[in-house]
Amino acid sequence: MAKMRKALAIGLVLLLAAAVGVGAQAKVKAAFIVSNMANESQAFSAKQFLKFGSEYGFDMYTFDAKGDTQAESQIVTNCIAQKFKVIFLNPNDINAIVPSLMKAKQAGLIVGMFSSDLAPANQKYRDFYAGVNDTMAGQQAAQAFINAFPNGAKIVEIGGQAGHDAQIKRHDGFNTAIKGSKIQVLDYKACQQWATDQAQAIMENFIVKYGNEIQGVFVHWDNGATGVIQAAKAAGMKNLFIVGVDGNRAGYYQVQSGDQAVSIAQDFVVMTKKDLELAQKVVNGQKVEPINFVPLTVVDSKSIATFDPPEW
Amino acid sequence: MQKRNSVLKVTASMLRDYLVLVMIALLVAVTAIVEPKFMSGANLVNIMRQFGPLIMVSLGMTFVIIGGFIDLSVAGTINLVAVVTISLIQPLGQVPALLVGLLIGAVCGALNSGVILSSGALTQAEALFLTFGMSTVYSALALLYSHGSTMHFWDIQKSKSIFEAIGAGRAGPLPLSFVIFLVILALLWIFQTKTTEGRAISLTGGNKTAAHLSGVNISRAIVVVYTICGFMAGVGAIVLFSRITTAAPVIGAGYETNAILSVVVGGTTLKGGKGSVLRTVMGVLLVILMSNCLDLLGVSTYLQVVVKGAILVVAIWLDNRKQA
Repeated sequence: MAKMRKALAIGLVLLLAAAVGVGAQAKVKAAFIVSNMANESQAFSAKQFLKFGSEYGFDMYTFDAKGDTQAESQIVTNCIAQKFKVIFLNPNDINAIVPSLMKAKQAGLIVGMFSSDLAPANQKYRDFYAGVNDTMAGQQAAQAFINAFPNGAKIVEIGGQAGHDAQIKRHDGFNTAIKGSKIQVLDYKACQQWATDQAQAIMENFIVKYGNEIQGVFVHWDNGATGVIQAAKAAGMKNLFIVGVDGNRAGYYQVQSGDQAVSIAQDFVVMTKKDLELAQKVVNGQKVEPINFVPLTVVDSKSIATFDPPEW
Repeated sequence: MQKRNSVLKVTASMLRDYLVLVMIALLVAVTAIVEPKFMSGANLVNIMRQFGPLIMVSLGMTFVIIGGFIDLSVAGTINLVAVVTISLIQPLGQVPALLVGLLIGAVCGALNSGVILSSGALTQAEALFLTFGMSTVYSALALLYSHGSTMHFWDIQKSKSIFEAIGAGRAGPLPLSFVIFLVILALLWIFQTKTTEGRAISLTGGNKTAAHLSGVNISRAIVVVYTICGFMAGVGAIVLFSRITTAAPVIGAGYETNAILSVVVGGTTLKGGKGSVLRTVMGVLLVILMSNCLDLLGVSTYLQVVVKGAILVVAIWLDNRKQA
């Protein structure tokens, strides 16, 4: 009897080990390389990859490049050495990351870009991209002004981190769309970092220069809009039409309270799922679209009731 | 001829000593001519408000630099103090949160001095790397504590009137943050010029061996300068998040370089031993005016960064020439 029990126990353990082995083999080892975990949207995205990765058959790992291009390249080469099958990447520098991605492709890894794509000439070094179109975000912001001020208005623009891919595209998209309309941009200034206090200081300086001439502000990110709102309040300016991009908690609550008119929202959950779905298809040998824009949503006083408060 | 040469020498020396005042005067004159709104009362208040966070951090940095060291950890300290303080307003109330925030700043500073003393680091270069490491630790703690999220005033249901007053309140015609700065400046100036401890810091920065032989307790001076610097970084963090009503775990980014820039441009020598909190006020005024004036003049952000870097290089170059 005791021998039978022992044999049964050993059999069960072996069965369990085999099942775990099969399970582990079934999952594809994948990494999400975060450009900088200190960036709220990136930290949130990393959580989403870990949350949904297994649903798409991935054994997910996340790595933080801490805003360092060199560190990010090093992580890519580490992933090659550690036999990862898929890497999802949010690049700190879309050009500097290319040599490491070339190695990844040579090693047969599937490369998915997240939130920022490579320059057209280098797109052969990745399999697909999922993210928002920042040019479109700028265009939608411009459209919000055109809709709100059909007879024209004078506005100022406060950019995100000078030289950052998103800052450049949002600015270009905005100015392309605003051209020919009755909206007049009095002034434009980009921040040195995506820092709320810098956006606030620029807005304070604009208020000194243009005063009540300013009817609206396009600020490239919702946390920057928080600074703009404080500057306007301190100067006693009311009814400013403020448009931001992101759709994060700051944007949501500022639109809800009426301090901000519009937030052009990007959905990082949808973006994450799209990247995972595309990678799953490539793993299974299916062809996918190389560029996959995740739609932006306009959150304003009319539509806000239909949205849940964002988690980030 | 000899008289003319000596006049030229005196003029050159005065220019080197008071370069920051010359630059401020030039900047003010040009901007006032091109953009008359620069001289408006609203802009003066505006400049005073923008003064708030940077001046606090720079005043603390002044003591570290006079003491012959440097502190790159202020950015991390600001990150940590900001997220912890704002998060404690709801559970503890605003006064305890404020006190805890200031205490964390001072503890971070004291910890820096502990690391420096225990490692036997006595040069500015060693302190630079050690405090850079500590900055990373404090920033990581801020990220861990906040889970990477930005905290906002609207998350707080309890009274936060003290912080709202610091951020946007006035005392008569002056912003409250500016009045706080004036009080702190007076206290620090008295400490620096009228107390034995203050003079011991200058002696330590000037020549550590000589200071030691003169009976100055160098270790104590190091603890004092770093604790003041940490405490002031804490004050800066509170003024900063009170002003913008949010605290991100990366809120302090860039403050360490701007503080060093302000101190050095103000005329405190990077070699240690000489300097003053009053000079730092001039340095901060120049940094703030630069952004304000160049924004009003419509100068691009890229060029503003170039100008800032060039001014720092010129200030250090002149400082070295003066020492030579």
